[in-house]
Amino acid sequence: MTEPTFEEAQRELEGIVQRLESGEASLDEAIMLWERGEELYRVCSTKLDSAQGRIEELARRVEAVKP
Amino acid sequence: MKVEAIEYGDRRVFTVSSFNRGVGDWLSRLPSVWVEGEVTELRRQERWQSVFLTLKDPTDGACLGVTMPRGQFDALRLELANGERVHVFGRPELFAARGDFRLRALSIERFGLGDHLAALERLKRKLAAEGLFAPERKRALPRLPRRIGLVTGNDAAAKRDVLTAITSRFPPARILVAETYVQGPRAATAIAEALREICDAPEIDVVVLARGGGSFEDLLPFSDERLVRALAACPVPIVSAVGHEQDTPLSDLVADARASTPTAAARLVVPDFAELTARLERSRTALARGTRAALDRERRRLDLARDHLRRAPLLVLERRRAALEQAAGRLRALSPRATLERGYAIVRAAGEIVRSSSQVAAGDQVDVELGTGGFGAQVKETR
Repeated sequence: MTEPTFEEAQRELEGIVQRLESGEASLDEAIMLWERGEELYRVCSTKLDSAQGRIEELARRVEAVKP
Repeated sequence: MKVEAIEYGDRRVFTVSSFNRGVGDWLSRLPSVWVEGEVTELRRQERWQSVFLTLKDPTDGACLGVTMPRGQFDALRLELANGERVHVFGRPELFAARGDFRLRALSIERFGLGDHLAALERLKRKLAAEGLFAPERKRALPRLPRRIGLVTGNDAAAKRDVLTAITSRFPPARILVAETYVQGPRAATAIAEALREICDAPEIDVVVLARGGGSFEDLLPFSDERLVRALAACPVPIVSAVGHEQDTPLSDLVADARASTPTAAARLVVPDFAELTARLERSRTALARGTRAALDRERRRLDLARDHLRRAPLLVLERRRAALEQAAGRLRALSPRATLERGYAIVRAAGEIVRSSSQVAAGDQVDVELGTGGFGAQVKETR
């Protein structure tokens, strides 16, 4: 399985929370959901922690467009 | 007129007059065209045959001399003043006596804001009819773009404002900036080109097209058909942050979202970092709470099952006892005791129940059992 994007991970995590809060999950399922949820949380927070703000300039042939 | 050179050995030399004539000849073969510019240095005098003016390109100050016969100029009744935008129809001409090149005007039309607006309105209707501004074409912006493209003018303020707004809201933002010309006749194609290049860069999930406020004419490139079409064809969602609230360049209509300020643009393209982390933490807390609740629920269910299990043998016993009582009741109902109590009697002779008078003879001793008690008796007679 490929690593989910932050958005995907967050959406899945929130879906899991909802499922758990509905009280419909069996014990086995609850434990499975919890493990998956923790993993998704880790994915999300790692992504946030490791994201380094970066501003780059596109290397363009700016001179060529100068009027 | 024939242009002739003087020969000095193998060098051909022209007189000034013949050179000018030659160039003038060549210029006169060029077609008549419309030229747009601002009127400056308008010079008209009753004693002159021609009216002179200079057309200036407002974007870079390039100048072009224009002449028109005075009678023709007066007949147009334009009442032109310096600074007005005009369209001049004419052809290039060389004033041979001075070697001055200029535009010989055949007609002059004022081209004001109204004309611009009308042209813009026509274009807007045409593009709207093609469905370029339709709401169903609008794409959703990513909540957390991997990388943001910023196409901006080479005026520092607009660029800095957008960058600051984005990074203060979401410090880990990754932004790729493409500077371009956002003003003048080449701006539209230059912006479209920058847009294409930035979309070709990897991981770009959204593009912000930004330009600070400016005059109506400054913002015209953002309503240029070529740019509007380039924006419509862009594979990446676009936020148009051009001009101020009151400006509505066509780029705003074709973009997937529009922002009237850099802050609004930032709000559209990145989430609030603090809000995002808080939400993530809330999810994690809810995850733990939800799991614990599931465990507690299972625990209660288990306890209940155990209680049932413990009570089960007792229940079986009670059920057996009840069945026994019921059987005893039925047994009692069937015993002769109840019959005796209704007034019947059992007569025994020598331990045998007497069912027939032939079993006894007169004088025999018998035993009589009643519902309550009994007595001995002697048979008097048999019948």
